[in-house]
Amino acid sequence: MEYLALVYGNPDAWGQMSEAERASAYEGYMAVARDATAAGALVDASELEATAAATSVRVRDGEALVTDGPYAEAKESLGGYYLFSCDSIEEAVEWAAKIPAAWHGGAIEVRPVHVEAEAAA
Amino acid sequence: MKYAMLVYADQSPWEGISAEEAARLRAESMPRWIALFEELGKADPDVQGRELSDASEAKVVRVVNGETVVTDGPFAETKEQLGGVFVTELPDLDEAIRLAVLVPAAEYGTLEIRPLATR
Repeated sequence: MEYLALVYGNPDAWGQMSEAERASAYEGYMAVARDATAAGALVDASELEATAAATSVRVRDGEALVTDGPYAEAKESLGGYYLFSCDSIEEAVEWAAKIPAAWHGGAIEVRPVHVEAEAAA
Repeated sequence: MKYAMLVYADQSPWEGISAEEAARLRAESMPRWIALFEELGKADPDVQGRELSDASEAKVVRVVNGETVVTDGPFAETKEQLGGVFVTELPDLDEAIRLAVLVPAAEYGTLEIRPLATR
């Protein structure tokens, strides 16, 4: 099963960290990717550009509405993701608990990837 | 440039409907999703896409004072929830917008396009 771990953090808090703290946190993110890869549990991982670089697209009554900025303005925003391949959600949660944002006031949302019933059979 | 296309949509219309009705609705919108996948595949043969299970199946993980705290449900209790993600390599934002408009969920939800960070 695949599980998408969505990394939510506070970009302001990240900005207030010292250079050394940021380097250490960044190394923490890399370590999760390295360890999960070594365990055969990582499918993909990426960091997203800040929400200031986001573009939102909606289509209403056949008309495309394009706006600058993220879908929702919030104190904590999606900063990246890890796509894990695990036997259970508990295992994905264990990986999620190693992600630095979980330790620094942020949160990791773990979501099972949808599998079509016929594909799972 | 690599982009993540985040598909946000209200999942409440799917709550409380029968499995048959859900299957019928999925089948009804399927041709448009297939058309989208074809367009995405033409733009980037290596495009990755994942549909997520319902947000109610989410678990949120925090570590407080060294202890892992896990709660059920999504991080944000909003009406619209992340329902899927595409990650794709495209020439520019305009192309990402063109493809986002083709996503059926853009008609009832929101497509958020975010460049992937490069270091």
